[in-house]
Amino acid sequence: MNETAAKPEVFYLDEEISRVRGSGMLSYRSSRLPTWCPGCGFFGIEHALTEAIRELGIKSHELVVVSGIGCTGRYPFFINGYGIHALHGRALPVATGAKIARPELNVAALTGDGDCMGIGIGHLPHACRRNTDIVCVLFDNNIYGLTKGQTSPTTPTRQQTNSHPFGNPDVPLDPVRFVLGAGASFVARGYAGRPRDMQVLFREAFLHKGFSFVHIMSPCVTFDKVNYTYQRLNELIMPLPKRHDFTDLNMAMERALDRELFLGLFYKEERPTFAEQMRSYAERAGGEK
Amino acid sequence: MRKIDLTIEICGSSGDGTLAAGDILAMTLSHLGYHTLSFDVYPAEIRGFGKCVAHTRVSDAPLYSVGRGVDVLVSLNDPYSIEQAPSLKERAVVLFDSWPLKEVGEGECVAGHLKPGNYLYGVPMGELSQRSTHGWRSRNIVALGALAGLFDMDVDGFLERLTSKFKKKAGVAEQVAAAFKAGVDYVRENLLKIDPLSLALDKKPEQKGYALLSGNEAAAQGALDAKCRFYAGYPITPATKIMEILSARLPREGGTVVQTEDEISAIGMVTGAAFMGKRAMTATSGPGLCLMSEFIGYNVMAENSVVILDGQRGGPATGLPTKTEQSDLMMAMFGTNGDAPRIVVAPTSVAECHYWVAEAFYLAEKYQVPVIVLSDLFLATCKTNVILAKIDPKKLAANKVPTAEQMKDYRRQLVTDDGVSPRTIPGTVGGEFVVSGLEQDEEGTPAYDAKTHTMMTEKRHRKMRTALENDVPRPERFGCNGKASLGVLSWGSTMGAVVEAVERACEKGHKVAALKQVVLNPLHVEDLKAFCADCETLLVPELNYGGQFANWLSMHVSAPMRRLCRVNTRPLSYQDVLEEIENISGDGK
Repeated sequence: MNETAAKPEVFYLDEEISRVRGSGMLSYRSSRLPTWCPGCGFFGIEHALTEAIRELGIKSHELVVVSGIGCTGRYPFFINGYGIHALHGRALPVATGAKIARPELNVAALTGDGDCMGIGIGHLPHACRRNTDIVCVLFDNNIYGLTKGQTSPTTPTRQQTNSHPFGNPDVPLDPVRFVLGAGASFVARGYAGRPRDMQVLFREAFLHKGFSFVHIMSPCVTFDKVNYTYQRLNELIMPLPKRHDFTDLNMAMERALDRELFLGLFYKEERPTFAEQMRSYAERAGGEK
Repeated sequence: MRKIDLTIEICGSSGDGTLAAGDILAMTLSHLGYHTLSFDVYPAEIRGFGKCVAHTRVSDAPLYSVGRGVDVLVSLNDPYSIEQAPSLKERAVVLFDSWPLKEVGEGECVAGHLKPGNYLYGVPMGELSQRSTHGWRSRNIVALGALAGLFDMDVDGFLERLTSKFKKKAGVAEQVAAAFKAGVDYVRENLLKIDPLSLALDKKPEQKGYALLSGNEAAAQGALDAKCRFYAGYPITPATKIMEILSARLPREGGTVVQTEDEISAIGMVTGAAFMGKRAMTATSGPGLCLMSEFIGYNVMAENSVVILDGQRGGPATGLPTKTEQSDLMMAMFGTNGDAPRIVVAPTSVAECHYWVAEAFYLAEKYQVPVIVLSDLFLATCKTNVILAKIDPKKLAANKVPTAEQMKDYRRQLVTDDGVSPRTIPGTVGGEFVVSGLEQDEEGTPAYDAKTHTMMTEKRHRKMRTALENDVPRPERFGCNGKASLGVLSWGSTMGAVVEAVERACEKGHKVAALKQVVLNPLHVEDLKAFCADCETLLVPELNYGGQFANWLSMHVSAPMRRLCRVNTRPLSYQDVLEEIENISGDGK
């Protein structure tokens, strides 16, 4: 595996530009340029997400992107669609309200590790069990980037950060374990350095009827030089084994608890969404007034 | 002048059917053509036994406030009723159970705790219930029968209404009718009426389509009439009832109610739904409004149309969850960081709860701003008979849609003369935009420069002026015309007591006037100044410690104001205000 990664691929800039132009991808780009640091993993995530949206044929005016605060939060400014740059931690409630109000539109909630696993974690398990038909992408760079390098809820124990110069005393949260435990109906993990794999996960997440949670590990090249670096993640990640049965919650939990950082679809379950559930109740009650 | 104005209290232990009897009494009186205003008092803690009081004021003219003092006390539980005895008026009537369920110990009978001048009637409610229905549980109905017989009510009309309420339950209607008749017959045959109180009406009043509603029920109806299609909320006293009503009714209108994990999520979902072009609201109380305050600022910044109802209760913190107060005014006006102008309305009656919730949706949608509706525990839970206003169909679609010209280069934050930017509804081709809590320029790009921030802050404030000029009604003046020796200013449910007190003070010859405004922000300052100039002295009654409304008015007018502030967990009665008016005016009239 390391051998294939070592072989360099050659790109020519002008060929790349004409390929991108021809692909129609730019129609999903707004006129604003991303504000992320050069080398940030978020470029990869943005590319894969936009590609998945394009692949699915979702039109700009049918797309609603909700985000919280943090480096992730800026995404709606860079994509051509309806966007809500909400409050810190509150992407999920806003996205839920938006989807319930207009079920015919496609709603994605983009959150960061501080956003989703810190200040806004109170909303996460409820979004999982409510099973509204939205896609939630967690841009996890295990650091607070926009405020310049403080410990986040996913920062490993002992890692030194600007807020913990002698090391983080807390045990990090594992987002995949968390949402599996809370009853999410679609749980996947990707890596910002693997855009093609991410694109597949995002596509599946959009196609899944219910709350889809995609955890993306992404390097913060500016403030994390030790943990989630490209080099280290390239070594740590491993695709889920072929025999992994994503309909088996026990197996999914086992893989999530494994020391290996597995990538792929952990778990998927078909069950009625919030809207379907409410509609069936209302229809049943509709007769008597 | 009112011919009839009686306050009736039914007091008992939970399990006695106290509140049920109060409910039936108010409903029936209202049906018979009286004006009623009723509310229940019960402990915050849920437990098997506790004191319950059903309080009903009844009159032949519209009622806007509670009365102080009790004219008729019906005791279903004497030890609890003894606690009510101090509030009896001089000529009050007490009906007690002379055949109680339990043996009464020494000093435990309400009869031993009355004031001189009170009239006492013993009705063997337990015995009559047992004889008429072969059970103890109809004591409350026997008591209603005794009330109807004793105070010359239309007994047949009462009975008809009573049985129709229970007609769905087999056998119950007959039992209820028997118990009711037993009460009526007993007082007619055995009691010699010596008290002067009566509920006899000179002529049968015409039924005018009154509905008996609480403030919460009226607010929920207002939301439905205004085509609200999304509600998210978290249970909190006293606003929960609105969620319960809408949960049952919104799905039939194609709407949705979500019970959320907390109030932050509730306002978050409302924000999302409003962004999508749906009329959306949440209702909460003070502690919930605290949690929502960051989103209030967000919706000011993102120019999003949300409606938030705050049923105020005693505070701060968890405070007094089942007691009324008006102490959230400052939070509603200012709660959140930054310069965040929003519309604040405070309905003063149950009927206005309906109208102003509906109006709040219109204002929110038209001016793209959060609208906070301030109710309070008393207004939310008291039931009174009201005629609901018709909602103007023109107000059901108030979004400012961009013109074809504007769509060519659509800018969500376009700076306009009236301060309102045209808004596309998500799903519109070519109308894509991003809203943010960050300051944005016209195109929607985050911008932190001085020019943009100044321009956009002005725009957000300009909308309030536009709203004031176009959609905020001028304040209403009550009482005497011309110069007044005393002017009363108040807000929310306390205004009801002021209106009644001023009406009575004027009848007594005092030169008193009152000014009522439901919209508290933005304010018609010129009208306020003119009123203050007309009055020698100003009085501001309200239910909080320091006079929050007086402080708010003092930011706009320089006239000194006397404050009548109470935090005694009860709504102000008209007598409270009337006494203060008389204190200030003296005999000078």
